[in-house]
Amino acid sequence: MAGLIAFSWWSAEYHHTDWHIWSGCAVLTLLIFRLLWGFVGGSTARFASFVRGPRAIAGYLRGNWEGIGHNPLGALSVLALLGALAVQVGLGLIAEDEDGIVTGPLYRLVKVDTSDWARELHEYWFYVILALIALHLAAILYYHLRGRRLMSGMISGRGAVNPDVEPMRPAKWWVAFICIAIAIAITRWVIAGAPPFSA
Amino acid sequence: MRIVPISVAILAALAATAGLAAVSGPKAKQISHERHEGMESIGKAFKILHREFDSPAPNAPTVQASADQVASLAAKSSSWFAKGSGPEVGKTGAKPEIWQNWPDFVAKNRAFQQSARAFKAIAAKGDMTAAKASYADLAGTCKACHEKYRMEMHH
Repeated sequence: MAGLIAFSWWSAEYHHTDWHIWSGCAVLTLLIFRLLWGFVGGSTARFASFVRGPRAIAGYLRGNWEGIGHNPLGALSVLALLGALAVQVGLGLIAEDEDGIVTGPLYRLVKVDTSDWARELHEYWFYVILALIALHLAAILYYHLRGRRLMSGMISGRGAVNPDVEPMRPAKWWVAFICIAIAIAITRWVIAGAPPFSA
Repeated sequence: MRIVPISVAILAALAATAGLAAVSGPKAKQISHERHEGMESIGKAFKILHREFDSPAPNAPTVQASADQVASLAAKSSSWFAKGSGPEVGKTGAKPEIWQNWPDFVAKNRAFQQSARAFKAIAAKGDMTAAKASYADLAGTCKACHEKYRMEMHH
């Protein structure tokens, strides 16, 4: 995802708009996958396991959190990043360039003025994403300096855990496969203009 | 009788170098502004055209109206690039390279005007399939110039 975001920025900056649109569609696919995975994936990936209310966040900040995966504060970060990316992709899907020559796949669902507005906001919204990424990296660095290695646990599935805490339950591989298949199918439908809405 | 061809020749020479006659001050600002507004209007027409051509049944009167709009603005566009009306005036998308490569720019501008006239003529006949192909050619002339001679106005 990080690579796609970087490539999306680069392709837009250097006016390779067609690559940019493909890259954005790839982001859409990953977002859909992550959304589905958040309901049927491994235990630490599920939204139900880490999305907590303000009381849990306060408790975490006081030091009263024993768990694995995203802590209650990190949960906000996940939601913010996924949400901001969803906004960016959504805007891109209905946008058109200033010449009206290159368009997002769903541009015909909205009026000309809306597509123009979406493009402008899409350009500025990148800075919101950038700020969230910076915050995210700062937080990881902070934990790293405090002695907690977060990245390796997220990638390998193995982290140093308190033995009283229930370990992660991974999901079946074919669940991931089905989620990817659904994500790709939805993206292909979007690329086709979301028929029948764009007819 | 010899005065007529001579004056025609002088007028032609003047017209050819018109772009090289420099403007400044309020006149330059006015031309820059007219260029900006004109290009935005062309863009607006293009946005309407793109939607029409992507729909299963393009609406001929809509296409024709937009084609007319682009053709008339294209005809005016050669007067939007007087020397001195570029970045020296202020914020603009016109790169200084325009005046550094004037013959090449003029050639591209002429190609745009020609393509716009052709598109208008084809659209007037009512064949939307032919019009769509002509529109694609026209978009190509926009891109050919913009790639070399347009810069971002913000950032």
